[in-house]
Amino acid sequence: MSSLVRRALLSALLLCASAPALGQGLITSAAPDSVSVSVYRAPDRDSDTAMDLDWLEGYALVTEKRTVEIPAGKATIRFEGVAAGLFPESAIVTGLPEGVREKNLDADLLSPRSLYARMFGRPVTLRRTLPGTGGVREERAVIRSGPDGAAILQTSAGFEVASCGGLDDEILYAEAPKNLSAQPTLSIETESATSQKVTLSLSYLAWGFDWQTNYVIRMNPDGRTADLAAWVTLASSDSTSFADAETAVIAGEVNREDTERGAVPSGEELELRCQLSSLPPPPPPPPMVMAPAPAMMMESADIVVTAQRAKAMAAPVTVVQEGLGDLKLYRVPVPVTVAANAQKQVALAQKNGVKMQALYRAEVWEDSVGEVRQMLRTRNRKEEGLGLPLPGGPVAVFEPMGNAMLLAGEGGLADRAVGEDVEILLSRATQVTARIEELESKDRTRTLRLTATNARPVPVSFEARIARNAETQIKALGAKLTRKDGRDIWAVTIPANGTANLTYRLTEQD
Amino acid sequence: MRKVLALAAATLPALANAQTAPASAPPSAQGDVSLTIYNNDLALVQDVRQMNLPTGRTRQEFPDVSATIRPETVTLNASGTGIVEQNFDYDLLTPEKLMDKAVGQTVTVVRTNPATGAETREAATILANNGGTVVRIGDRIEVLNQYGARVIFPSLPAGLRARPTLSVTLDTTTPGSRPVSLSYLSRGFGWKADYVALFDEAAGKIDVQGWITLNNNSGTTFGQAKVLLVAGAVGQENNGYQNYRPQRPMMPGNRPGTQSANRESLGDFYVYPIAGRTTVANAQQKQVSFLDVAGAPATKAYHFRNGWLQNQTEPQSADTVLRFSTSREAGLGDALPAGTVRVYMRDARGQPQFIGENGIGHTPMGSSLALKTGEAFDVKVQPMLDKRERIDSGEWERSSRYRVTRPGQTAQEVIIDRELVFWRTTMTYKVTNAKATPVTVEVVQGGLDNWWHDTRVPSETIKGEQRSADERVWQVPVPANGETTLTVQFDSRY
Repeated sequence: MSSLVRRALLSALLLCASAPALGQGLITSAAPDSVSVSVYRAPDRDSDTAMDLDWLEGYALVTEKRTVEIPAGKATIRFEGVAAGLFPESAIVTGLPEGVREKNLDADLLSPRSLYARMFGRPVTLRRTLPGTGGVREERAVIRSGPDGAAILQTSAGFEVASCGGLDDEILYAEAPKNLSAQPTLSIETESATSQKVTLSLSYLAWGFDWQTNYVIRMNPDGRTADLAAWVTLASSDSTSFADAETAVIAGEVNREDTERGAVPSGEELELRCQLSSLPPPPPPPPMVMAPAPAMMMESADIVVTAQRAKAMAAPVTVVQEGLGDLKLYRVPVPVTVAANAQKQVALAQKNGVKMQALYRAEVWEDSVGEVRQMLRTRNRKEEGLGLPLPGGPVAVFEPMGNAMLLAGEGGLADRAVGEDVEILLSRATQVTARIEELESKDRTRTLRLTATNARPVPVSFEARIARNAETQIKALGAKLTRKDGRDIWAVTIPANGTANLTYRLTEQD
Repeated sequence: MRKVLALAAATLPALANAQTAPASAPPSAQGDVSLTIYNNDLALVQDVRQMNLPTGRTRQEFPDVSATIRPETVTLNASGTGIVEQNFDYDLLTPEKLMDKAVGQTVTVVRTNPATGAETREAATILANNGGTVVRIGDRIEVLNQYGARVIFPSLPAGLRARPTLSVTLDTTTPGSRPVSLSYLSRGFGWKADYVALFDEAAGKIDVQGWITLNNNSGTTFGQAKVLLVAGAVGQENNGYQNYRPQRPMMPGNRPGTQSANRESLGDFYVYPIAGRTTVANAQQKQVSFLDVAGAPATKAYHFRNGWLQNQTEPQSADTVLRFSTSREAGLGDALPAGTVRVYMRDARGQPQFIGENGIGHTPMGSSLALKTGEAFDVKVQPMLDKRERIDSGEWERSSRYRVTRPGQTAQEVIIDRELVFWRTTMTYKVTNAKATPVTVEVVQGGLDNWWHDTRVPSETIKGEQRSADERVWQVPVPANGETTLTVQFDSRY
């Protein structure tokens, strides 16, 4: 049965190619003259997490310049070669002499089902494959039923159901209806007093794009400075390529309404069965089919690849940052091709000799301590060797070991403005531990001791961040706590193969 | 393929019944169509068809009605005729129905030899079709096997249709041609507004274009229709339980207006006619312009709300808010139907870039709008809870008083006083600005009311405004590339 479906579709497509020329006043703009693409990050993704290359949830603003010849009077301009994921309601067309009368997105697609439905009551050719050595025979027929279920056809012999009685039938159509399109098509209607050539600008938002920054931090042997390389990785899962596009990526939180994305309209299939049972009711409207994400065969070690590149070459092309309201726009200074189902990397910044403090951090809640994590800390200022807006993204940290560089940890960095503290949490520590013991508990007061141990042969910086109930008061005995970000900080250097202690008292107020 | 086409053309005259209509779309049986489309998946379709009606009772068919028609809402108007009954037929032509209706008739059964493909034809009478087709061929009774034999029917039964069709039985007194007006409600339609706002921050102005975006998923194309859009959802599924709709937290600066727009209205709803006639095709999304305003004043603001007296361990980006008015004097000068506002700004090269979008409800003229477009990269607020301590209010609350009178004695008055317990919470809000221009950030502290209705602010480094029992607002100026710290003490009963 599916062979009938398939062949019906094939016939339709072949016939479509030989369809007559398009009607009067209908202009097709096949491709843009020039295009610019601005890629935005996925709205729901935290800025310090990596994008999902198999399912890109960001979007892009595509602005195209197109030249069309418009006739005098009313005209319809069809745009081809637009991104498949376009949000039609976001389309803006400017540059027409009389403006845009209306914009349409036609999603009544040429499909086996729509073709059959449109050819109702009209003559078709029925190609019948007889069993065995019976061969193939062609007959004239007229479609007499709707597309739900079975094809009832009128032949010169009478009325019958297709593909019954051992025959394999397929339907050949003389031509495809004109008002069905192969893919959802954006068109506008306009009017012009004279026929003229105009350059118009078409811009729209389209989903299926994303970008992120990848940071590569190479610690210098002194342990206090690092070289930081930042790369912009932008990816497209759209089926349209944008050649020589002016490309930009935009950082910052952009508000989006919940737009149904990926509602790619599809023609329904036609299933013609020779079945003599009651048929199910007509199918509901097609569900919002999520377009299948392109299978991107990504190596899990792509960050390492980035790092090698960063080491190997001085980036010839570095994106240029400019302000865009309260967002940050990074422009690729040369035209690049944003290819379909592909990703691309461009350097964002290279900063050498950035002051970087490596330390161990433990989070404490009153009398319990969480795991100890390795952390890098700096401040986004010129004094520390930075001082540029840092869009968030995954971070890979490398440390020298002899002549080689070893991956020392991976973490994430959220969006950081100039002047902010930059903290990059890395992996869990194995050689530095922290524990808390209760020494005394009396009335509303508890005395606790925090012990941090270091099994490494070098002294390490350790920091405990103590959070507590706002009604509980804290007092450190024989040590000084500093207050930062609403928490009490105990910062200490643990000697090599040594321990450090903090005794503190928590008093609850009634 | 060319061979097939040639063959098709050659055999065309052989088929007496074939229609030789031109190959463009089949002509629609619709007449003069008017569509009134509501926001909530609903449209009123009015279809005036010219029909020639004979005298007496006749059954008239109305093909090409919406496939998602609500048949119970059909009304028909024509002079000199009356409706006897109306049906919306779902009696679709299927092989099963075809066989059912052919019971008792004589059909041709064609058998094909599976080896050679040779066909043999026999006349058969269908006896029954109950879970299998029983036929009499000559003097034998057989059950038809769908793989072994196919049935050719001499005719199609009356009353079975390829498409859902409305049929009406009319009793006509005066014969002749006349306009027949058919109207019904249909599902599968909807519309909303989409706004394009180009914001010029330096000039403090926005250009706004409004587009009506309408969708037709009714399964039917309506050609050359008069289209009217009603900005509202007529109470279709409102059963009394849905009257309360939780509203999204109100961004300060939103205020509904009280002006009337210079537009047609239908009761409570504004209506937006589309000029001229337009074809509303099936599976089409159509956009038509209805608003174009240039140079309306607009400002940008920063807003941050701390919902509770809580600590944030990381600085939080302030919301970027676009503010403008829909008033006649200082704004867009129109009522705005519900939809999405997309905001664009020109980049350094002058090309508009998207900076965010937000939804608006039906907005009367004269309203103030404050729309969050995104969060600022460079402007951040970090609320920190510094201290929370119990304090002596020094205030005694007289909570009850009563008088006891005993016989023969003077009345005795008893007053019970109770100390009020207050908690003093010290909050610090660190507001940072990495931009090269000074900004003012509106910092809102919420969650102050908390049932006691007795929260006081004994000290604050910037004078705040108590917007409600629950919220206090400070306008915090922050210098370029600098920071401002706001410290506030709250005395509360919890």
